[in-house]
Amino acid sequence: MLVLSRKIGEVITVGSSVKVTVLSYDRGIVRLGIEAPKSIPVHRKEVHDKIVEMNKQAAKTEFNAFKNAINLADVNFKKQQTGKNSVLNAMIHSNKEK
Amino acid sequence: MIAEKEPRIIITPNFGELLVQNDYVFRFENGILGFEDLKDYILVSDEDTEPFKWLIAIEAPEIGFPILSPFFIDQTYKYGRDYEGEENVPFVIITLGGGDITANLKAPVILNVETQKGEQVILPSEKYSPNHILKLNSEVK
Repeated sequence: MLVLSRKIGEVITVGSSVKVTVLSYDRGIVRLGIEAPKSIPVHRKEVHDKIVEMNKQAAKTEFNAFKNAINLADVNFKKQQTGKNSVLNAMIHSNKEK
Repeated sequence: MIAEKEPRIIITPNFGELLVQNDYVFRFENGILGFEDLKDYILVSDEDTEPFKWLIAIEAPEIGFPILSPFFIDQTYKYGRDYEGEENVPFVIITLGGGDITANLKAPVILNVETQKGEQVILPSEKYSPNHILKLNSEVK
């Protein structure tokens, strides 16, 4: 790990497209300003890690377990759809091989 | 658009043999978080789990995410100015765990039905939870 010391207002560059500015320091909390192109998502690590954890949990969902869970929960969706969903529903229909 | 290829068949634990038709394939250039190596997903709809749908990884068919339109949960759901066009269709990933069914409202998957590209984005808004519990009977009207 590269360790750098910076004063308030000083900047670190990462590559040529990312800039990190130290904005303030107060009672153990550092505030950073980050400029990065849209293609580089910037997030608090714990948020990113939580999403990864949720994705990993969801990724191996078993069809029958899922079907049972939603049946138990008595999902009662009205058939009404928003405009955006009807666009998609027109495009997709069941392509499960029976 | 995805280049035309001969239809292929993949073997999935959840759906058995699945015919991959390019019309239902979405390319995730950056993958889905935690699954960055998997780029191509097929959107599957099965009447037994409607209106939920499934995103199945073509390169690893044992990986499949149940998804749902967030508008079933929150009719005013906002998923960013970059995706306002009608061609962008948001879904949230659904997780079974601890007896609850939860939806990841914080990190929707957005499918562009014109370019057939997909992306998982993390929304900055603090009001959206990564594990929003679905209270199905009361919430879904």
